[in-house]
Amino acid sequence: MVELKNVDVHYKDGGKHGVDALHDVNIRINDGEFVFIVGNSGAGKSTMLKLLTREILPTNGRVFVNGYNLSKMKNKKVPYFRRSLGMIFQDFRLIPDMTVYDNVAFVLRVTDRSNKYIRQRVPYVLNLVKLADKAKFKPTQLSGGEQQRVAIARAFACDPKLIIADEPTGNIDPALSYEIVELLKDINRCGTTVLMVTHEHDLVQYFGGRIINLSNGSVVFDNYIGGDEEYMEGEDEGK
Amino acid sequence: MRGSNFSYLVKQGIVSVWHNRMMSFASFCIIMVSLLLISLAMLIAADLNVVIGNAEDKNEVLVYVDKADEDGLLHIEETIKNNPYTERVVFYSKEEAFEEQKEKMEEYSEVLNALKENPMPDTFRVTVNDLKKMNEVKRTFESIEGVEKVSAPYDFASVLVSLRTTLTIIAGAMLVALVIVSVVIVYNAARTSVFARRKEIGIMKSVGATNSFIKFPFFIEGMFIGVVAGAVSWFLTKIAYEALVSFFAGDLTIWQVLGLSQVIRFDDVMWFMLAFNCLVGALLSAIGTVFSMGKHLKV
Repeated sequence: MVELKNVDVHYKDGGKHGVDALHDVNIRINDGEFVFIVGNSGAGKSTMLKLLTREILPTNGRVFVNGYNLSKMKNKKVPYFRRSLGMIFQDFRLIPDMTVYDNVAFVLRVTDRSNKYIRQRVPYVLNLVKLADKAKFKPTQLSGGEQQRVAIARAFACDPKLIIADEPTGNIDPALSYEIVELLKDINRCGTTVLMVTHEHDLVQYFGGRIINLSNGSVVFDNYIGGDEEYMEGEDEGK
Repeated sequence: MRGSNFSYLVKQGIVSVWHNRMMSFASFCIIMVSLLLISLAMLIAADLNVVIGNAEDKNEVLVYVDKADEDGLLHIEETIKNNPYTERVVFYSKEEAFEEQKEKMEEYSEVLNALKENPMPDTFRVTVNDLKKMNEVKRTFESIEGVEKVSAPYDFASVLVSLRTTLTIIAGAMLVALVIVSVVIVYNAARTSVFARRKEIGIMKSVGATNSFIKFPFFIEGMFIGVVAGAVSWFLTKIAYEALVSFFAGDLTIWQVLGLSQVIRFDDVMWFMLAFNCLVGALLSAIGTVFSMGKHLKV
């Protein structure tokens, strides 16, 4: 579960009086939800993600993620909290020297899993993202879409309660974007909460579901919309 | 931490020595040169201590007695013995001194035999335990009743004392400077390699790696470079030191005068020096590496 209660974030170093990046934000996301977070540049999306990964602390208010109270968390505990999350980035953030297999195995090593578990889990998640045959490739030998699938496999490897995807389709072919969201939807169906930040309105329109729209640091829309996907599925069923 | 993860991190540390070979080589060179100079300075300082120690042992104050009866001589001897800086006292009677003189000046034995009176004074040969107090001791002994003259090789003593003090200061300053320079250079070399891998560190942090997990391979990398640099510098120290000793050994006069026969033999301290070099190398390198990481860990 993710909960933001009366959250303000004020950056002191932005201009003469600083900048209010988030203002009185209240959001509650239940376990198992799939949520799109949309908004223009500067709306506060990145700040919100930084709050949820405990890179920054709120100026006011409280942030709860996966049962952790991030506002009161000691720095020492942060790594253990982050192990309950899976992060997916726009620029993939794969380690170029490592093979696909090692990139995924790496998170499991960080979280102190046994070699036996790693040998079982990595092929399983690579199979889920349909990259089992490219386990020995280096990230640079893969296409953008494939690299993002490795990143998704890495995020899912630790079986996290929550996956946060920061513009995961931003750097890949538009045609492949749907495939990536579809993959995240599959993971969501397994019970993992997914939070996806995106600019791409077409994608949001297509998939629908819960949308949180941020503007100038405030939530201006938080509701469910029916997507074209459902409509098309409905049409298919009608036929 | 699991054993399998420990060996994985050790392996990562050693592999990254090769990945960052330019910076590794730079760190290796500076640590090796520093350790070479540090261990040579240590050996030479220890040798000079031995030499000065030998010279100190031979350092005698001669107390010449004017005319004194047996009680007078006893009083003088007691006073000398009670002085806190007296190490050893040997009495030479005027007869012994005269005989010794005759032996030394055999060609003039006739002249000496013709003398009606023994011109040599009774003498106390006093070894002083602290060279710095030579002048004070001389003045104290001169004030004893019945003492005619005190001869003390004060100049020699003061030269030795100031030589030792200067050398200690120079060697100490050199050690401190070398340690600082090494740590600073290793720190910068490591910072460059940490900077090159900042993305990797960021990824590690985002997936929940603890600071110690991230630091460990860098620490191993630093230690590995330090130990290798220590071993190489140890070998070079051996070559340089033995060359230096044999250079001085070629000059027999200096050898004998300064008591160089008692200098430290490298083979005697070989294992100590190897352990010292490897340990200090590993420490310098590891400290520099770990300190360089601070900023990049705050994600």
